[in-house]
Amino acid sequence: MTSDNTDSARKQVPNIDFSMVLASAVHDMKNSLGMLLNSLDDLRREQGEKIGESSRFNTLQYEAERMHNDLVQLLGIYRLGENNLSAHIEEHFVPDFLSEHMARHTPLLEGLGIEFELEAHDINGFFDQDLLTGVLNNTLNNALRYTRKKIKLSAREREGYLVIAVEDDGEGYPDNMQHTGTPEFKALDFKSGSTSLGLFFASSVASLHTANERKGSIRLHNGGSLGGGIFEIWLP
Amino acid sequence: MTEPAAVPTGTDFAKLSYLIIDDFESFRLSMREMLRSFGAEKIESSAKASPAIQFCAYNHVDVVLCDFNLGEGKNGQHILEELRHKKLLKRSSIFLMITAETSKDMVMGAREYQPDAYLTKPINRAMLLKRLDSLVSQRTALLPINREIDLENFPEAISLCLKYLPSQPRYKTWLMKTLADLYCQVGDFSHALKIYEDVLNQRDLSWASLGRGRVLLATGHYDEAENALSVLTQKHPDYMEAYDLLAQALEKKGKSGQAQKVLEKASELSPNALLRQKQLAGLSGANQDLVTASNAWRKTVTLGTHSIHDSSENYLALGQSLSDLSEGDTSSDGYANADEALTTLRRMERRFPDEENIKVRSRVVQSRVHAGQGNRQEANKALESVSDQLSDNETVDPELGIDYAKTLFRLDRHKEAKTLLGVLSNRCADDPLLLQKIENLLDEPVGFQQKLQARTLNRDGIKAFEANDLDQAIKTFDDALAIVPDHAALNLNLCQVLMKKHKSTNDNTLLQKAQKHLERLESLPAQHRQHRRLVSLRKKLQGMMT
Repeated sequence: MTSDNTDSARKQVPNIDFSMVLASAVHDMKNSLGMLLNSLDDLRREQGEKIGESSRFNTLQYEAERMHNDLVQLLGIYRLGENNLSAHIEEHFVPDFLSEHMARHTPLLEGLGIEFELEAHDINGFFDQDLLTGVLNNTLNNALRYTRKKIKLSAREREGYLVIAVEDDGEGYPDNMQHTGTPEFKALDFKSGSTSLGLFFASSVASLHTANERKGSIRLHNGGSLGGGIFEIWLP
Repeated sequence: MTEPAAVPTGTDFAKLSYLIIDDFESFRLSMREMLRSFGAEKIESSAKASPAIQFCAYNHVDVVLCDFNLGEGKNGQHILEELRHKKLLKRSSIFLMITAETSKDMVMGAREYQPDAYLTKPINRAMLLKRLDSLVSQRTALLPINREIDLENFPEAISLCLKYLPSQPRYKTWLMKTLADLYCQVGDFSHALKIYEDVLNQRDLSWASLGRGRVLLATGHYDEAENALSVLTQKHPDYMEAYDLLAQALEKKGKSGQAQKVLEKASELSPNALLRQKQLAGLSGANQDLVTASNAWRKTVTLGTHSIHDSSENYLALGQSLSDLSEGDTSSDGYANADEALTTLRRMERRFPDEENIKVRSRVVQSRVHAGQGNRQEANKALESVSDQLSDNETVDPELGIDYAKTLFRLDRHKEAKTLLGVLSNRCADDPLLLQKIENLLDEPVGFQQKLQARTLNRDGIKAFEANDLDQAIKTFDDALAIVPDHAALNLNLCQVLMKKHKSTNDNTLLQKAQKHLERLESLPAQHRQHRRLVSLRKKLQGMMT
């Protein structure tokens, strides 16, 4: 009897949709991290300066944010694969969107002592607010990792596209990463610890934004006013 | 890190009143503290839904900050629905839904009410300040419009929208959406359509496509609506409203099977919208798909637990659907369905004890469930417990009466059932929906499986008739009538075939047989849709017989 049961239990395993199991687990983890981040914010507020300048505390928050972003992206990519993610494009007032977005990162930026600049023209843009938030969270988080002292977020209109850029004053992107267009979803590089997940997600989101024949894209290069890396997302 | 004392925004937070709803005390405290630091003074907070709703009933609130997940009981969406539905919260007040989800999966597809904004946890002070500031600025800028909408003064709201459009580019989308909605509300569909099409000419935006679909549907352009909406669901598989409208368009075109498929898909993607489940339940029931109907009614009942849309009607429908499903099915599945039907109906009696007719409505169905399982004694007992409320055909509630007649047929009390239905069709002469139900029951006073069988035979008989295979047609209609002897259309179909055959054979027994079938319809109520056809065939037959 017992062995029969084990057999039938074993037989059922291959029927499980493993990617769905993963997705639910990711969903759960993401929510847990959300709670964790909430507590960190509370803690920072309660403890004030005592903790705000502690590099350990800032690392804790930074890494938790990073994981949270990764999980959000993972879920996004899962839904893309399921053909269940589409861009709900609406018209937004860009300065409002970006300053609300920045507010989320303010405590960490202040804690890390990183200077921050927002330069947004008074223009309207067409995009899916939630998807773009996911992309920018990840990009800013990435910039926090590589910058020295300063990060700049800007938005302007160029060649009929809305261009949102995140610049830092770090080393910049290595040569092999600087390009325009869709990066391939490569295997992750264990040596450098960098995965192409963030860029893959960003470029997938960009290309979900279309208008007539035009399509969104991302561009990576170095230089700019801060001399470090520049991430740009171009939206039609 | 020091907190800035002054708040660098244009909003006067002290003027507004706030309500925080969250089940965690620490969260309520930290929200309160953040609001205070912006200068807010009038702050109320609540851990649970009911006191929060109560508070809104007696106090004016400008900003509600509500967590979606409140543990057991009502969630944030239930509160929003109740506040807006009962008009306890004005349109000009702001409802902010706080979610732990980055996506809106949990709340996606809520059909009627949507919060003014979502705020995703974790929330810090700077975020809340920025978000509140822009919401309040928007509220202030658009207040004159919302005030008119609250007063249902739509024409004035329309002219204000038109006035603001050139001067408020920041709120352009809101103004366009609101304007188009208002045009629809006042029935000016051509202006609404023009807005959507102007937007779409510039850019393919999903809200405008949806609006266009809605107008096409409302103006009876069902083909175009179906087209536009099915394109929209392909482009945006997560846009629930598009599925709802597409299903409506398909239903209008008589494609109720396809409409059901569309709603099934939508309910699969977003299983928590009660009204969609309810619509699916009704539609699949009408499509004779009792398994889907029962599942959807079950979900409707479950989702209703904390919702303003909770209703005894949902419980009753679930009981009826399970009763039909279990009838004559004595397998373990049938027994389980019957058992669930009885449990559901008993729960209904307990949950809505003060509603009129609740007990009698419940027992009439319970009796039928017992009869369907072969428990004649239990069936009679259930009816006897409410017999005093069913004794007067002239005063019984028509819906209840029809349901009672259905039970009477099941208990082989055909004569009583027919008498009752006769009285009811006189009483409901000007209610086509009820008349239709009475007709269906008179035609097919049998169980669900037999009903399907008779319908299939009827279709086959018509096919044979059209192929001019008269003998086959007569045989098939005879078979069908063995199941539903009083079915009006079937009896008349058979007469028509018999009379046609008489033309080529001159066999008078055919006419006598036809005569017998017409006699069966002697008591057909004059309101019946087949009544006219009966009269004309009777006349024709008399002519042939003399």
